[in-house]
Amino acid sequence: MSIQFWRIRDRYYRLVGNKCLSCGAEFFPPVYKCKSCGSDRLKDKEMPKTGKIVTYTQLHEPLPGFEAQAPFYLAVVRLDNGAKILTQIVDSLDESIKTGAKVSATIRRATVDGDTGQIVYGYKFVVQD
Amino acid sequence: MPRTKAYVSSVGLTNIGDHWEKSILDLAMDAARAALKGNPKAKPDQIIIGNMFSAVAASQEHLGALVADGLGLTGTPAYKVEAACSSGGTAFNVGYNLVGSGAIDSALVIGVEKMRDLEPEQVSMALAMAESAEYTQFVGATFAALNGLLARYYMEQMDVSRDELSSIPVLDHANAVTAEHAQFRKAITPEVVGRSSMIADPLRLFDCAPVGDGAAAVFLTNNPTHGSKGKMAEVLGGAISTNDFSIYQRDDMLDFKATKNAFKKAMAQAGMTPGKLSLVEIHDAFSVVGALSLEAMGFSKRGRGSKDAKDGKYRRGSELPINTFGGLKARGHPVGATGVYQIAEAYLQLTDQAGKNQVDGARYAATQNIGGVDTTSAVHIFGRAA
Repeated sequence: MSIQFWRIRDRYYRLVGNKCLSCGAEFFPPVYKCKSCGSDRLKDKEMPKTGKIVTYTQLHEPLPGFEAQAPFYLAVVRLDNGAKILTQIVDSLDESIKTGAKVSATIRRATVDGDTGQIVYGYKFVVQD
Repeated sequence: MPRTKAYVSSVGLTNIGDHWEKSILDLAMDAARAALKGNPKAKPDQIIIGNMFSAVAASQEHLGALVADGLGLTGTPAYKVEAACSSGGTAFNVGYNLVGSGAIDSALVIGVEKMRDLEPEQVSMALAMAESAEYTQFVGATFAALNGLLARYYMEQMDVSRDELSSIPVLDHANAVTAEHAQFRKAITPEVVGRSSMIADPLRLFDCAPVGDGAAAVFLTNNPTHGSKGKMAEVLGGAISTNDFSIYQRDDMLDFKATKNAFKKAMAQAGMTPGKLSLVEIHDAFSVVGALSLEAMGFSKRGRGSKDAKDGKYRRGSELPINTFGGLKARGHPVGATGVYQIAEAYLQLTDQAGKNQVDGARYAATQNIGGVDTTSAVHIFGRAA
């Protein structure tokens, strides 16, 4: 299981998505074919680390491996380049988490792999003051 | 597009709920035998099984051959079709295309799911496998979480109230009271929905379909003499479509494109206009999904799905009843079986076998079965056989 996370560590640690070389649209997660113009010409690109909350929820019953973090916030964030990402929102006051709030990326412990005990790190977002 | 007429000539259903005494094979056998009994003149050319996660829940794959063996039909081609919660509708569509094209003459389509052997968090994990392992499971998001995100967006963008959102679960429970195979046969009020425990804010327990075991089977044939007279429903059209995989990748989260396109195609095949439908079985795995499904098929205007349900547009006795046996919320949602339950229910309505849930004079019915959050949608249109 862990190798699945290791394989895409750049995506988790540095928010590496990709950019369409034909029309310039950017994506995270990366796509195989541009969702805007259909081009196959795409190149890896680090995403901006700031954006705005499009919608959010507080999850009370998460997936196995995340129980210790519950309840926690999840949000769809539109990054400053237009890419939309699903992420946890952490270290933020409850009342600051709302639609339109500005957020920025940080690195946190994501989960602990159940089979190997390996700690997996990845992106989470924080509301900007 | 199918060239030969195809009919559903018999169906079999188990009650949905806790089947502690039965294995996944037992359940599939119960439904299959009941369907075959109603169709004694024919053997199926193929057995097609809709199932989502038998490997996880029952350490069992190779369901096709297992069921063929159980039925004493070894030699018959048999296999499983998987498309998450739309496995049942997708399996039926495969059968419909095969029978309708003339490649085979008949098929037994079985939807089966064993969910209750798992602990609740294991069910969440099994369901989450229909989403991206790397980007959705990775952040701890369950399906309820994705639908919570969607529900908040829907309520904020379309100015939908808590009570309005509750209207489809309330309708489902009202219809299930008299439905023998339903999991929850008890009426509820919007207050009950609004007070139930919070799952993924703003979604509460009663916004979400329950976890249950169940199996449904239908016999598909191109021979109009296979079934009993008056006990045949014609398949008039059927299509599957897919959407951007995850909701957060979509330009417009409120546009259920898979459902919209599958419905449009299926209706075109049937050569029918939506106004002629007598009833629709919709895939309301979550209250918000029901509302957006009604909008995608054009029965409600954008933003009006829950509001129209609250105004009584879809209740029994109205012009277009939905979820006539309780829908996913109250009939239940044994995921890979759900699409076949919906089709069996449409059949019961069109052959006047729906008992207390009968829609009087039902002539045409549609079923809509979703996998993911409208990631896959399978829509079928049925008519009373002439």
